Amino acid sequence: MAHLHIENLQVGYGNKLILKNINLAVEQGEMIALLGPSGCGKTTLLNALCGFIPVSQGDIFVANRAISKRPAEKRNITMVFQSYALWPHMTVAQNIGYGLKVQKMKHADITTRVTELLKIVKLEGLENDRVTALSGGQRQRVALARALAIRPDVLVLDEPLSNLDAKVRLSVRHEIKALQKQLGFTSLIVTHDQEEALVMADRIAVLNHGTIEQIGTPEDIYHRPKTPFVADFMGADNHLTWPIQNAAITLNINPTITQAEIYFRSENALVSTRPPATNVDVNPSNMGLLIEGPVEQSVFFGNNYQISVRCGTHTIQANHDQHLPEHTPVLLRVPTDALHIFATEAGNSAPQHSLSPLSNQ
Amino acid sequence: MRRTTSHFLWLIAPAALMVGIFFLYPLCFSLYSAVTLDSGELTLAHLNKAFELYSKDIIFTILIVLICVAILAVLSITIAGIITLSPFRTLSKTLGFLYRLPLFIPFIVTAQMMRTFLAKNGLMNNTFIASGLLTPMETVSFLGWSGIIITFVWKQLAFSTLLIAGAMAALDDSQIRAARNLGASRWRILLQIILPQIAPTIGVAMVLSTVTIMSVLSVPLMIGTGTPTMMTADMAFRINSYGDYHVANALGLVSYSICAVLAWFYLRQNLKEKGAQS
Ligand SMILES: Nc1ncnc2c1ncn2[C@@H]1O[C@H](COP(=O)(O)OP(=O)(O)O)[C@@H](O)[C@H]1O
Ligand SMILES: [Mg+2]
Repeated sequence: MAHLHIENLQVGYGNKLILKNINLAVEQGEMIALLGPSGCGKTTLLNALCGFIPVSQGDIFVANRAISKRPAEKRNITMVFQSYALWPHMTVAQNIGYGLKVQKMKHADITTRVTELLKIVKLEGLENDRVTALSGGQRQRVALARALAIRPDVLVLDEPLSNLDAKVRLSVRHEIKALQKQLGFTSLIVTHDQEEALVMADRIAVLNHGTIEQIGTPEDIYHRPKTPFVADFMGADNHLTWPIQNAAITLNINPTITQAEIYFRSENALVSTRPPATNVDVNPSNMGLLIEGPVEQSVFFGNNYQISVRCGTHTIQANHDQHLPEHTPVLLRVPTDALHIFATEAGNSAPQHSLSPLSNQ
Repeated sequence: MRRTTSHFLWLIAPAALMVGIFFLYPLCFSLYSAVTLDSGELTLAHLNKAFELYSKDIIFTILIVLICVAILAVLSITIAGIITLSPFRTLSKTLGFLYRLPLFIPFIVTAQMMRTFLAKNGLMNNTFIASGLLTPMETVSFLGWSGIIITFVWKQLAFSTLLIAGAMAALDDSQIRAARNLGASRWRILLQIILPQIAPTIGVAMVLSTVTIMSVLSVPLMIGTGTPTMMTADMAFRINSYGDYHVANALGLVSYSICAVLAWFYLRQNLKEKGAQS
């Protein structure tokens, strides 16, 4: 059994069910990102793990021991909070050493351990500062050191970076990841930012409406989403409902399909401006989707232009290195392996339930 | 700039006038009356007389206040702590409702209730007798100093718990959670995480309770047994029986001084903490 093992977990507030059928196995030393939109139940899952809210069904095992009936103070799972949750009446050292004091560790040993942790999180020399005098990034590092001080079985982090400004966020993100590699703690990190999840996690679990839609390595989740939700959440910003009427569009895949939801990223759509006369080879075999249409809008995005192209009732986004005037006719080509195609059964009026990903290798 | 200043003056004028007429003027008048003869000469005679006749009552008052405030602090912190930290939701909800009730009952009604409740043949003793816990011979009256304390605590408990529970609720919940998953018991969290942060509010609740207790007349009159009694009862007695406003005001001056000392302590403490935080 994995180090942290969650089995058929069900959690709710009152009789409102928030988490359904959560199954998750986290290996020793692994970092898993829980990724999902706001309100999907990420914090609720961490709270249930820590014992702050009761579990209505299922079980949680840490190192083969069931812990879902234990009170929070006996679980040895610590949390790093979005709001830091430091105690303002204590110094940095008192905050970090609190868990050790609770464990009745000797004063001298606490001092040694706190010094060691301050070094790990790069806050040497600040032990006697008030936490209210620290910057956001420093506060979150104190919170991290405090949570690591007691060597928890599992460390959980609830959007630890979202209160930090962009630059600090990148450096703290890097530090957390480096620490996790160096110390090898088992951890779950919650985020709603896909980039954060991709960079930090060994594996990602995508949550939607209280259930896990897909678990996998960052590459898996990014390149091979199993559901339209995952494709969409991982940044496939173009969505087409096939078939499309009144549009110059060709779908070139095997086996052919009649009805499908198609997703792809705007950066994967190759734009070529094509004078009608020149008929270059527009149909190479690795191009699964071909769309012809006029440019509707072209917006400067820094390193490139985001081009909107009309395609029947849909608007397709693509990236191009030059500005294109409105109404310029263009050809968009999307490689087969950049397409995420979810076939919907013909004649089914409620396609969401019958989606099955088509292999697109 | 000048225009806005005069606007501000107009805005605060009604409030300032109210404070002046109904508070500052009577206060100054009372202080003046405490240290002057009818002819207008300064004198310490009234103060001397007040101490000569009533020093026991002054000490009694201070003791009652201290005991009440100590019991209040312990009880309201306990109740607020249970409301904030208890894992039993219904218990904390019920408690949260019950403790507020005395807030809506005036002191004089409270005093009357306590009188019928605490007397030798009152409701409490009758209940004990009916349930067989005591025989009629064993009952004691709680009217007197203990009754005064019970009444004040019962009445002020709602107010101080309201303040303290409010301050506890205002703390970020994740601070408590952080302590819990580091292994701290609820008791430890109350003492080491919550109380240090809400100490200023406890101070406010206790200072305000002291001032209230010092100013209530009905409770010592209705629950007390005569001697010793609290200073408010003495003041009423000086005025009603002798028309002696001077000594009554001298007692008032003593009462102000006690409250002023507390206010000074409180403000000093508050300023120190503010200074340390910034
Ligand atoms: N204390 C609570 N009582 C009732 N419902 C709650 C409570 N906390 C969260 N919820 C609900 O549970 C759902 C999931 O919340 P949460 O776990 O905080 O989402 P996330 O962290 O993914 O943004 C939300 O719909 C929210 O309204
Ligand atoms: Mg959340």
